[in-house]
Amino acid sequence: MGRQMRVGRLRPRWILALAGLAAATMTVAACGGSAVRGGGGGGGDQETVKLGVLLPLSGVYAPLGEDMQQGLRLYIDEHGGKLGGRRVELVTADEGEGPQTAVPAAKKLIQQDRVVAVTGVVSSAVALGVRDLFTESKIPLVISNAGADEITGEASSDYLWRTSFANTEPNAAFGPYVADQVKGGGVYVIAADYAAGKEAMGGFKETFEAAGGKVADERYTPFGETQDFQPYLNAIQRSGAEAVYCFYAGAEAVAFVKQYEEFGLADELPLYSAGFLTEGGALDAQGDAALGIRTSLNYAPDLDNPANERFRAAYQNRFEEEPTTYAVASYDAAAVLDQALTSIDGDVTGEQIAAALGEVGEVDSPRGTWRFSETHNPVQKYYLREVRKQGAGFTNATVRELEG
Amino acid sequence: MTGAARTAARGLAARRGAAFRLTVVLLLVALPLFLGPYPISALSRILAFALLAASLDLLTGYTGLASLGHAAYFGVGAYTAALIGIHLTPNAPVQLLAALAAGGIAAGLTGWVAVRTHGTFFLMLTLAVGEIVHQLADSWTSLTGGSNGLVGMPPITVLPGRPLVLAGFVYWYILAIFVLCYAVLRRITASPFGRTMRGVRDNEARMRAVGYDTARVKYVVYCIAGAVAGAAGSLWVAQTRFVSPADLSFEIAALVLLAVVIGGSGSLWGPCLGAALVLLVNDTLSSYVAGRGPLLLGLAFVAAVYLLPRGFAGLRGVRVHVRTRETGP
Amino acid sequence: MIAWLDANLVSILNGVAFGLLLFTLAVGLSLIFGMMDVLNLSHGALYLVGAYAAYRVVGEAGGSLGAFLLALGVAGVLGLAAGALLAGITQPLARRGHLHQALLTLGVALVVADLLSALFGDEVHSVAAPAGLRGSVRVLGHGYPAYRLFVIGVGLVLAALVYLLVERSRAGAVIRATVADRDMVQAIGVDTRKVLVGVFAFGTLLATCGGVLGGPILGAQPGLDDTVLILGLVIVVIGGLGSVKGAFFGALLIGQIQVLGVTLLPEYASFLLFGTMALILTLRPAGLAGTAARTAAPGSSG
Repeated sequence: MGRQMRVGRLRPRWILALAGLAAATMTVAACGGSAVRGGGGGGGDQETVKLGVLLPLSGVYAPLGEDMQQGLRLYIDEHGGKLGGRRVELVTADEGEGPQTAVPAAKKLIQQDRVVAVTGVVSSAVALGVRDLFTESKIPLVISNAGADEITGEASSDYLWRTSFANTEPNAAFGPYVADQVKGGGVYVIAADYAAGKEAMGGFKETFEAAGGKVADERYTPFGETQDFQPYLNAIQRSGAEAVYCFYAGAEAVAFVKQYEEFGLADELPLYSAGFLTEGGALDAQGDAALGIRTSLNYAPDLDNPANERFRAAYQNRFEEEPTTYAVASYDAAAVLDQALTSIDGDVTGEQIAAALGEVGEVDSPRGTWRFSETHNPVQKYYLREVRKQGAGFTNATVRELEG
Repeated sequence: MTGAARTAARGLAARRGAAFRLTVVLLLVALPLFLGPYPISALSRILAFALLAASLDLLTGYTGLASLGHAAYFGVGAYTAALIGIHLTPNAPVQLLAALAAGGIAAGLTGWVAVRTHGTFFLMLTLAVGEIVHQLADSWTSLTGGSNGLVGMPPITVLPGRPLVLAGFVYWYILAIFVLCYAVLRRITASPFGRTMRGVRDNEARMRAVGYDTARVKYVVYCIAGAVAGAAGSLWVAQTRFVSPADLSFEIAALVLLAVVIGGSGSLWGPCLGAALVLLVNDTLSSYVAGRGPLLLGLAFVAAVYLLPRGFAGLRGVRVHVRTRETGP
Repeated sequence: MIAWLDANLVSILNGVAFGLLLFTLAVGLSLIFGMMDVLNLSHGALYLVGAYAAYRVVGEAGGSLGAFLLALGVAGVLGLAAGALLAGITQPLARRGHLHQALLTLGVALVVADLLSALFGDEVHSVAAPAGLRGSVRVLGHGYPAYRLFVIGVGLVLAALVYLLVERSRAGAVIRATVADRDMVQAIGVDTRKVLVGVFAFGTLLATCGGVLGGPILGAQPGLDDTVLILGLVIVVIGGLGSVKGAFFGALLIGQIQVLGVTLLPEYASFLLFGTMALILTLRPAGLAGTAARTAAPGSSG
């Protein structure tokens, strides 16, 4: 009898499947065209330009995404909603926590929304994962965070540009200073076990050892899974090192700094790190535990230059918090796109923008002036910063410039 | 009903079923002519993911083993295909076969532990396997590129020397392999071995009592499912041309299990539709509700559990589990 | 040996603290599974509710003992309410097997976690230890944070209470009888629905209060829910589903693995947790305290 019933019920299966197919087609068929004919990416004209923004709106990187969005929005609004004299239409897509969400989102920006350029990207895996997509679509991606050295190294492309930093740099800039501070004593090196952590430590050790520094020991902790740093802190205490150099960001930065103080290391061993350790929201959560930590970064809110004075006042006024390096890099991404678009007459293509980015000269940024290197990475200064009390909260105060 | 009439009805059903399948396939084949590159690459993703869901259905729906580690074999296949693409040949069928083999071997190496357990313990043990393989992908930097993933895979070729760059051609390749693998899975479930699988699911003790080596049956299914998952991994990278540890993360393992449950386990086509729904919600809808994707996904799960007690397959009116007993040996 | 113990004393102590914190989470998970056959995947999200309650009431700096107790109260009420609600929505699915209930609770977990992120933002927050438990004390010549000692104390008391309640009291006898034969207990005039809802609410209460207790150690941030859920699941599976003793020893074992294991085998730190679980399940497919009967439970898949 079961068979007979199936015959009777064939109809709903047809309806269900056809309805499903129709619905799927309608959801995705917003734009016409055919997928078997070639076609260029998006474009803009003299009046308007469509810009894609690929940032984490959800997940653990969302706080960075928020800072980056604020920096970008501030620049565009300061310039009357225009870049290069063209009205900007922003299309935002969610980067999520990695390539899983970000790669389809980037495809949508390029192929469906037909943007002429994209900015953003927190994760290095995402930047590398979309490299070929952008290069082949001839759409420039102006990265305003992701720091993998490869992006502007072996994997560089005519269509990838970066306004933030390469992971090695803030650490390499710090090596000679730390070597000078510990005067021959050993430094314990500890970092999160992923590409950025490895690159950061590589950069540090190179200049640190060249300046005569000694590494007491080296340890990499499971990335994103370490809640309790006590066993590592115990090993540090027993190593006889005289200082610690670390690389952590976000939740791990908070846990590491708090436990560093809880288990009594803060009083004995000075802690040095790239500035991400105490940047943005992490510093608020660390509170007192972070006092006195010295870090190296390309920006500090109290940098003394006219561009920063204006920027910081406007940022604080609008968002009621101190600007971060993440906000500055996105602000500058808008600035370089502004310069590039200004130099183009009439209709705009991604190819033209990429070429024009190569002609962008000095960028007058809140972090001080910088310019693109041959491989599209910023050539910039790094600063020694120290966590100090400021009013009811804490800040990364500039101590001095670090000589590369 | 007379025997002749019954045979006629059966013949009619078979013909209608075949016509139905043919129509669906023709529709899918025609889509790139009407749709732009973005929807087509989204469909390519869905097809690769649907094949993964179908392979998990073999394990979960037909054999009663819900796994949270299936993304591991998908990832092994994806890495294998990408590595071959980067270092050896862009030829997609070669990548496919290698990924199939790698997925099967990985499942063979890890499965013998897993199939000794049941229910929640099987779920957790497969989770452990999945996480360990994920960690390997993350830390074996010289092979896998570590947390940054593997970059630089060239576009695939099917015939030598003609790289498929346009989304539509890649989609056709993926569709062809999907249809082929789906047909193979169908044959397996309809074979005597398929009946044995369902027997193990419904009453393992009885199957053992009548002389089946049930552990061996489960192990074989586990290896087949792993191999097909590996093939799905190669389809996945044929389209993204990038692989990172995120591709074999817990998130993928959980999403594909959800696709099976939402679609209706034990029907093969239900999980494929489930996979489409899960990916559509995850990729497409979340971009319209900036940052609130998890909320939507959560609500979708809750709704699916209450509204689709047997998944999409249940809507069709076929009581999947019960039917097998009605028409049993 | 003495020297080694001395060098690692703080680590061992810390493993106990971490393990007992996880026990508060795991025992609820285990009881709910044992009593109701529900794998409650929203347990981690409920822990996070407690952690955010602590962040809101106690704050990142300062915070009196009174505020801490108030946070516990708030979390307790939320936990009981959540438990009753979850029991209500999972019970209609009781005959549909674990997978559907797990899917439902996972959906609830995603919704709760996303609402928390909408309410509190995605920033990382820390929670101050209550006044009087800040700073460190000397333990056999080593400095150790006072609050973590407090967590050890609370965890031990809790473990003893739960053990007495479930294994030795009359209420516990009813609970165990309900698990063994629901119809029989109903026949002698006990409202089994009440018993089941009670157990569920007790389990979720432990999760939210665990969140408050863990606040000063693990903070409150998006993603923490998944981390603690996975650890809790590992403990429950290692210990044997439904067993209080199993959860206790499983939690202590995982605590030590996370601390001492990392000290001894730092290169394999990221493989230790799941490696241990895989090893234990290979040797004892039903967990440390498991019995064959439990593993053969029917309806284990959708």
